[in-house]
Amino acid sequence: MVKGAIATGVGVVLLVGGGGTLATWNQAQSASMGSIVSGDLNLEVNSATNGGKWTNANSTVVDINTYRVVPGDTLTYTQDLLVTLTGDLMKAKLSVTNAGVNAGFTAASVDVSPTALKDATAAKPITSGDVLTASVNGHVVTASTTFTFKASTTGRDSANQRYNFGPIGYKLEQQAPASANAQ
Amino acid sequence: MRTPRALKAAGLVLAAVVLGLLTVQGTYALWNAAVNSNAGTVQAADFRVSLTDGPTNTSMDMTLADGTAATIALSTTPIGVVVPGQSVYTGVQLGNATNAGGDFTIKAGAGEPVITDTSGSGVASLLSVKAVGADALAQCTSAALYAGAQTTASVSIAKNASKVLCFQVTLAGNAPGSLQGKSAGISLPLAVEQL
Repeated sequence: MVKGAIATGVGVVLLVGGGGTLATWNQAQSASMGSIVSGDLNLEVNSATNGGKWTNANSTVVDINTYRVVPGDTLTYTQDLLVTLTGDLMKAKLSVTNAGVNAGFTAASVDVSPTALKDATAAKPITSGDVLTASVNGHVVTASTTFTFKASTTGRDSANQRYNFGPIGYKLEQQAPASANAQ
Repeated sequence: MRTPRALKAAGLVLAAVVLGLLTVQGTYALWNAAVNSNAGTVQAADFRVSLTDGPTNTSMDMTLADGTAATIALSTTPIGVVVPGQSVYTGVQLGNATNAGGDFTIKAGAGEPVITDTSGSGVASLLSVKAVGADALAQCTSAALYAGAQTTASVSIAKNASKVLCFQVTLAGNAPGSLQGKSAGISLPLAVEQL
């Protein structure tokens, strides 16, 4: 029984060996698939044009760390952002994250506008619902926020108070291509 | 017996599919980039006005630390004594001591004087007050400064500058001798507003 099994095994090995030495016509072709290259998504403060500055009601650039605002003054913060957006199916949304934090001004004495975004290259406002594509790659987006200390402020209302705009940020977020939900 | 097994198997497959879908949903992530504005903090200026009495050089803020209005006693020149038909003078220097970053000009005004007798002296009705704006306290003693002056006056004060409100107190020439040594109090309300 054992001898019979060994003989069978040898016979199989011989058959395999015979397959390895089989030579017939054959032909090969290159797939020519090329390389896959990924796109890019990035958002940076564009210091080359405007890294962020405050201007007062006289359109004078001020140092917000030392400047003290008074009723009737309007301060505007502007900042340029550089958008990098490449990829054939790239879609993204640009939005403002967080808002300023009032640390003492009375509601009646100030008016703060929501931060607005504008495609400075295309001269077109950008809303949080707009879907951006690679067509805006390299565009500069200007963000602006306005703080108005109302001239109608009375007495000594809101003297020596603070309004912190530090938490404000911007986010560029890719939107899934239509086919992504099926994967 | 075979039907319940098939149902169990189908249930397991369904649970696995649902779990798989939930897992895919939870780990779903796409590219994103965020930057901070570093916009800093807006700070309101102080609305601070200093009051200085001329002769004594006594100075204080118009609004006290507790938010109440200050009262400053003004000295007259010559001090405290007026004779019938003549005048004494005094003045208060107002300083615009704000720390505002931009323009901040204020208007300081002296309202209608309130003259009251001290212990029923009867002097009040014979006193009159004129007010006028000036640049320095030293000008307050010049009688010519009050030509055409009214009972109230105001001055505009630029940021970090100061101006003076001068007052002339005159005792009527027909004041009887019985009023010698009598006194009256004069209260002058000051108000400052931003221009």
